[in-house]
Amino acid sequence: MVLLLLKRIGFMIFTMIVVSMILFMLLETGLTGDPATRVLGNFASDEQKELWRDQHGYNQPVIVRYAKWLGNFATGDLGTSIRYKGPVKDVLLPRLWSTAILGFWTFAIMIPLSLTLGVLSGMKEGSILDRTISVFGILTTSVPEFASAVFFSALFVFGLKWLPGTSSMAGGFEFKQLLLPAMVLVVYDFGYVARMTRASMAEVMTSQYIRTSVLKGLPYKQVILKHALRNALIAPFTVIMLQINWLLSGVIVVEFFFAYKGFGALLLEASLNNDIALLEACAMVAVVVAVSSQTIADIGYTFLNPRIRFS
Amino acid sequence: MVEKNEKSTKRVHPGVKEMEKSLAEGKCSRREFLRTTTLLGISVTTAYSLASSILGKEILPDLISTAHAGQKKGGALKWGMQVMEMADPATYSWTEKSIVARNIVEYLVETGPDNITRPNLAESWEASDDLKTWIFHLRKGVKWSNGDDFGADDVVFNFTRWLDPKTGSSNLGLFNAMLEETGEKDKKGNPVKRMIKNAVEKVDAHTVRLNLKSAVLSIPENLYNYPTAIVHRDFEKEGGDLTKNPVGTGPYALAQFKVGEIAVLKKRKETYWGDEAFLDEIRFMDLGQDAGAYLAAIASKQVDGIYMLDLTTLEAAKNIPGIKVVSIPSTQTGVIRMKVNKKPFDDIRVRKAVQKCCDVERQLKIAHQGLGVVAEHHHVASIHPEYFKLPQLKPDIAGAKKLLKEAGYPDGIELTCNVGNTDGVWEQNSVAVLKEDCAKAGINIKMNVMPSAQYWDVWTKAPLSLTSWTHRPLAVMVLGLAYRAGVPWNESSYNNSKFDAALDEAEATLSVEDRRVKMEKVEKILQDDAVMVQPFFRSVFTAVSDKVVGFEMHPTRYYLFRKVSLA
Repeated sequence: MVLLLLKRIGFMIFTMIVVSMILFMLLETGLTGDPATRVLGNFASDEQKELWRDQHGYNQPVIVRYAKWLGNFATGDLGTSIRYKGPVKDVLLPRLWSTAILGFWTFAIMIPLSLTLGVLSGMKEGSILDRTISVFGILTTSVPEFASAVFFSALFVFGLKWLPGTSSMAGGFEFKQLLLPAMVLVVYDFGYVARMTRASMAEVMTSQYIRTSVLKGLPYKQVILKHALRNALIAPFTVIMLQINWLLSGVIVVEFFFAYKGFGALLLEASLNNDIALLEACAMVAVVVAVSSQTIADIGYTFLNPRIRFS
Repeated sequence: MVEKNEKSTKRVHPGVKEMEKSLAEGKCSRREFLRTTTLLGISVTTAYSLASSILGKEILPDLISTAHAGQKKGGALKWGMQVMEMADPATYSWTEKSIVARNIVEYLVETGPDNITRPNLAESWEASDDLKTWIFHLRKGVKWSNGDDFGADDVVFNFTRWLDPKTGSSNLGLFNAMLEETGEKDKKGNPVKRMIKNAVEKVDAHTVRLNLKSAVLSIPENLYNYPTAIVHRDFEKEGGDLTKNPVGTGPYALAQFKVGEIAVLKKRKETYWGDEAFLDEIRFMDLGQDAGAYLAAIASKQVDGIYMLDLTTLEAAKNIPGIKVVSIPSTQTGVIRMKVNKKPFDDIRVRKAVQKCCDVERQLKIAHQGLGVVAEHHHVASIHPEYFKLPQLKPDIAGAKKLLKEAGYPDGIELTCNVGNTDGVWEQNSVAVLKEDCAKAGINIKMNVMPSAQYWDVWTKAPLSLTSWTHRPLAVMVLGLAYRAGVPWNESSYNNSKFDAALDEAEATLSVEDRRVKMEKVEKILQDDAVMVQPFFRSVFTAVSDKVVGFEMHPTRYYLFRKVSLA
């Protein structure tokens, strides 16, 4: 078990180093334009640019620069943002926190809802309830976020006038502003998790040990809660862990549409504005979260599934 | 008449007499009279009174917001607009930056929505008969927010800074008559220029003299161009960042600033030198780059007004109760310019072929829903006072094919046009219409749509691209910025000494009628050299809530909020 943990963590670090190298090569070696021009602007003289390159170590060999960059990154120095004219860390952390709030409420609604409906659906495969939930799940998942965002906006902002149209939180945090983006995310993601849960539950329900439990006279409630549910939740657990990655970078559309100042919008701004330090930091955070959540999912899966744990 | 009103205080430029004569003889319009006489240092009140007297009827200011009876003091205005980094006013390249900054730092003059320039930090000014010497009398008693007195040292510092190539200010193009060539050339082959010694002089603590090498009429109007806000004389010593050290003379102080999120201005506690502002607070709220978000924000009353209304949201906005759509004609335009020193546009036949394909009527109708006026590919609009009407260039596909063949492209040519939609998707639509028109002549244009911020990285470099140019009240201003040899914003790298000389001559001509005649040559050279495809000038729009009182739409979107209040 310890070996497995060490292997996973080792692989996680290796993946992050490889991604950091690719990122560095793409963004710091002039492949996407001259960094000096990006920082100093188009009207800067050649002398000014040369001085800047010298001051910021851009005249050193790439490998030396990469080592320094990685060292700074590991010690929490994420560089300076061109767009925000300040340390990347100061911009990044509040944005991550904003997305975490949005993610928390999305998960808080979506997970119980999709698990409950998925289990109910999978308990009696082919029933009216199953078909209704399945059709609804397919429908919501197949509507892209930008379309449901427009639909909800037209309905709740322009039509019923119930909700604010944007979620910039410029006047401070307001829960009302969180509703529309969270609603779009829940609707989009709910169908996917619910259908995974349904499939898993339906499979478990057809297994021999469940049939045995029913035939030996155990109450149906006990069969479901004690025997079926635990095994049926293994697959959705992995899916839910993957949704953390999706929430972090996949919310770009929703954050852009509702002007929500989160991590997704920041990633987009960084790329649109050639803000290399910010882009690197955002990309690395996304990688760290993706790799970490995947590692946790793998470890969690091992705990939940004795066949893996004891093999 | 003039003497009776103003002689007791200062000398009156002889050009004012000429303008009086032109107005009386019907050779210039009332607006041209007002504009020119105020530029020559006559106060707006006197100019209106003169016009009334000559025309025999009362002429009242229009398009100027005056304090409405019953305007309330207090309250916070919420304005939806991108909040951008705005460290150095001299290097601004986005109007949005100046909209926040102009409430903190101010300009020597103010050009209103009526295109008439009025005193501001400069109380008055006078020009020599040959328009080569300008004296600005600065307002006394104006205090910086750090307690210092505003004076000539501040103005001299700003001019010196703008005209230092190291600053990287676009103002270099505006004040060319204060520059001299060093004899050196930059890497692009353009002459390196520096400020002429004593081009700006401190006469006394509140008087500054500008000594120009050639006559320029538009000096006062140039001083309201958005990168000409006057910063404190110690701006650089204090770090050169307005957001970190927001010292200004304006009615508001910067209370909070976060790029991409919010800028909060609060009314200064000390007495402001001008009329007291109504609003206690102005909150600029960044709602990103999606036009739909701005519409949703104003519809749900999250903001009281927005920076701009995109064409895509115009019709929807008109149908939302509680908000009003405000529009104004302007000289804002999209210039599809060709870089004359880069292949294949170094061959005038290729440039002319592209120009010949353009159908300006179709462009305006499709790309901008017909909201504007058609143009003639020389960047001078019919609402510019010095506009000289040239014959409209009709589409000539056969002519375009012939020119292409002569240029060595008998089978057509492949081009790439960059577009950044910096002012809306109409830019992309304009390139799309040109693409369709050019395809008829075998010119295959590939559209390269890029994010707006990235567009500004390449706008002076790409061989073919559409750049959105903002409104400027005089044509000579924009032509000086964009087409004079070697100036920073000359994105087409156009370099024609005959054009420069003709523009110098037009700039130095006081009489609008005479200037218009000289502009024929200027416009013709630009049109004949086929530097650009410039199909139309567009009207501009925005939306404000019904509860906003005293808001003044400006063709350059130079919004001022000190006269605005909330109902």
